[in-house]
Amino acid sequence: MANRAESSAGSLPCWVVAAVFAAGIVHLAVSLRALQVTSAADYNYASARQSVRRMQTAGLRGRILDRHGEVMAGNRPSLSIVCLPSGFEKRSWSNTVSAIERGIKEVGEAIGRPSPLSRMAISRHVSQSLALPLYVWRDIGERELAVFSEREREFAGFTVIKTAERVYPGGSLASHVLGYVGRDRGEIQSGDEKFSYFAPEMRGRSGLEAYYDGFLRGVPGEMKLLVDARGFAIREWTVLDATPGPDIATTIDLRIQKEVERQLQGERGACVVMDPRNGEVLALASAPGFELNAFVPTLSTETYARYIDDPAKPLLNRATGGAYAPGSTFKPVTALAALGAGHTADEEYICTGAYACGGMTLRCMSRWGHGPLDMCHALMKSCNPFFCNLGMTTGTNAFCRAARVFGLGSKTGLDLGVDRAGVVPDGDWKMSTYGEKWYPGDLAQMSIGQGMLLATPLQMAMVAGAIGTGSLVTPHLRLDAAPESRPLPFPESHLRIVRKGMRMVVAGDGNLRGTGWRGGEGVPVSVSGKTGTAEVGAGSSRRKNAWFIAYAPSDAPTAAVALVVENGESGGLTAAPKVCEILKAMFAEDGT
Amino acid sequence: MKTFLARFDWLMLAVMLALVSAGTVAIWSAGSARAETVFHGMWVNNLVTAAVGLTLYFAIAAVDYRRTLDFLALPGYVVAIACLVAVLVFGTSVYGGRRWLWFFQPSEISKLFVISLVAWLFGRRRIPLLNIQVAGFRAFLLLAVAVGIPVALILAEPDLGTALTLLPAVAVMAFAAGVWRRGLAAIAALGGIAALAVLGAVYEAERPGVPAARREQIMRFVPLKPHQVRRVKVFLFPETDVTGAGYNLRQAKISIGSGGFSGKGIGRGEMNHLKYLPQSISMNDFIFCVWAEETGFVGSAVLLALFAALLGCGCRAALVSTDGRGRLLALGVSTLVFAHVYVNIAMSIGIVPITGLPLPFISSGRTFLVTVMCGLGLIQSVTIHREEQQT
Repeated sequence: MANRAESSAGSLPCWVVAAVFAAGIVHLAVSLRALQVTSAADYNYASARQSVRRMQTAGLRGRILDRHGEVMAGNRPSLSIVCLPSGFEKRSWSNTVSAIERGIKEVGEAIGRPSPLSRMAISRHVSQSLALPLYVWRDIGERELAVFSEREREFAGFTVIKTAERVYPGGSLASHVLGYVGRDRGEIQSGDEKFSYFAPEMRGRSGLEAYYDGFLRGVPGEMKLLVDARGFAIREWTVLDATPGPDIATTIDLRIQKEVERQLQGERGACVVMDPRNGEVLALASAPGFELNAFVPTLSTETYARYIDDPAKPLLNRATGGAYAPGSTFKPVTALAALGAGHTADEEYICTGAYACGGMTLRCMSRWGHGPLDMCHALMKSCNPFFCNLGMTTGTNAFCRAARVFGLGSKTGLDLGVDRAGVVPDGDWKMSTYGEKWYPGDLAQMSIGQGMLLATPLQMAMVAGAIGTGSLVTPHLRLDAAPESRPLPFPESHLRIVRKGMRMVVAGDGNLRGTGWRGGEGVPVSVSGKTGTAEVGAGSSRRKNAWFIAYAPSDAPTAAVALVVENGESGGLTAAPKVCEILKAMFAEDGT
Repeated sequence: MKTFLARFDWLMLAVMLALVSAGTVAIWSAGSARAETVFHGMWVNNLVTAAVGLTLYFAIAAVDYRRTLDFLALPGYVVAIACLVAVLVFGTSVYGGRRWLWFFQPSEISKLFVISLVAWLFGRRRIPLLNIQVAGFRAFLLLAVAVGIPVALILAEPDLGTALTLLPAVAVMAFAAGVWRRGLAAIAALGGIAALAVLGAVYEAERPGVPAARREQIMRFVPLKPHQVRRVKVFLFPETDVTGAGYNLRQAKISIGSGGFSGKGIGRGEMNHLKYLPQSISMNDFIFCVWAEETGFVGSAVLLALFAALLGCGCRAALVSTDGRGRLLALGVSTLVFAHVYVNIAMSIGIVPITGLPLPFISSGRTFLVTVMCGLGLIQSVTIHREEQQT
């Protein structure tokens, strides 16, 4: 009791304090449970969100093959020297950038190549994609690789990465068909906005590379990168392997394509060779072409400027994107329209060398006139007054209907990005485009393929083939595409007349030569065709585009060709011999 | 010796050793995450310090605490005050506070000496030397002065956290000693009101959409330093500035929360090892995050259980003691430990504003570890020497 008396403290405060302690500990336990058990998933997500970066990876791009399996666009391994930023971590970002800059300079001196990256570019990489390797020298050569590998241990933080680059074995061969690729971040798949990075990926920019881009690219994969608080990559692992894109077989026959391009060498022009039975495009060329490998790994600014500034416009695909006045190659269509409107093949017209209509005079090739002609001979001689008269007496509507039956004035549906519709003018069109009335002279001009009428070489090849087979096919470049065709709404008797005329263009009649006689010389099969010499421009810029369209063999066509050469002499002189060479190459060996 | 062994609180020792082990593991993990190699061996330092602390623990436990208090309470207090003054004059600045004197932090040690002094002064009905009634108003004034001086010096460093843990310990002791309870209650109420007023003022000023002029007007009346205002702001609006002022709290919560039920494994805490958890404080004030991330709720609960057991030992000592000084001492030290544990863990999960406070046994603070072990030595002494020795 003595102790008690001296003590100031009872035991009650101890219990109170103990109760407070217990309450405090329980409070902490309950709060921690809420955090670590109830909301653990939320915090796990928050943790992953800040420390795990998702990267979309690209699969190997599929190849583009010709119809016999020959590679037109493939892949080759490419080695790049990259810098891994985590090896250069410094306290401050600017010191990190400087360290990388010094490292690049050192390696650059060793391999004898200057640093391609500005401090700004390095800085951008550090601030935006620190977790990824920084590509310094892309696509290095063997010598550089040897030097680098020898001294790799000195170059801490640098390594060699193997990627794939596009390669075009043919160089500029079929350049407008294939198109080129650029480097791009990958396609953002829907619902995958959560990707932080996209592996640089090849992306088709034109031609088949662009049209079938999604097909060739395959299915992207996914990689995850673990990054620390500053953003440096600590670890990476693959979640899903990217699936390589499938190869694509085209209808192009490289043998024919090469011959076509040889014929167009040095010219500005275009040529399309197709199979009129199923629409397979066997060759499609536009001249001048361009070097496809110049776009790999990236097109240099100088080369790009050269292509863009070139007045010959090498990047333009004239075969599908160049709209030309078809000139006299259009006359078979005029003939069919007239036959449909009640004209007959035997009607004769006396050509005087000129056709006057509505205050203007259209001249004929034959200065003094062809004299009396029937339809087949008018085709053979390509008589302008004859067809002007025929068109004028047929009428605009029937005429335009016939032209549209051949697909003129609308897109062909070719599986290539560039596909111009051309123009089949009529009264409404002229009014809405130029705000002018439709004059009889317009119809006269159109009857001979001049004036406002425009068509692409591909469309004219379709016209030639359709006349030869009797049905119009949709052209396509993908070999396994299903053929699409629709029969022409002309009676077989009418077609036979036009075919006879077109055969006479090449084969002549007795002693008389047709305008396109050079188109069939030495070709082992019979050729039917039509020449065209379209005058474009006026005054000093007046020039002639030389055309030749053909199909062969005449009785059962397996090939339809259209060829145009800008600034040529005439269809018969300039274009027909080139088509002749192409047909000779095609039918020389096996007759396909 | 016989009494020593017979009455020795083995549970307390076991709990201490367990806590030292847990702390060593946490320090190893936090240290290994750092780039600087000097921190990789911090866990060894912790063991060495624990060994020193344990030696002092046994020494203090062996001696009757009454003697210790008689000999050391007053001189120790004076020396502590001297050190606190010295640290303000000669101290080394770390992270914006003058807290280090040579190899130790006087503010940590002063906690124990203030508690000892209060126990010595107020543990009996009459205050020694002055012969004043403990329950009277004069005793209350004496308490205010005796505690006010060191607290003011500690606040001057500034070390708000230490001041905030010392005050509850003293308050509990004064409450248990029966010092002018009405006055105590009034002060506690005033303190509470003041704290709420500060919170309210900061809330009113920093609420989104408050014009800058009005904010400035309000903040003129808030007696907090800019960094303290920031912490209160983070506490009130934790989600507004997660990349700036709120970054630490956000990362602390992610670390603890992502630990989940069973943790990510010792040494495998990603927030810690990927340096998301702020490196400068992961070994000290935020070490609980490292532990909780790597051991999960299970580890957190084990840690809490260990602390509960330790506090239980303290309360038991207070209850079994027949002497007011022993009772006060046990309650004071226990409250100090409790305040550290509660505030440290609570701030890590955003229940209270962030305050720079170590977690006993787990944080890698040498001075504090030794201080706590000495304090627990005193509690052990109270347990052993519960009855006045008949000498």
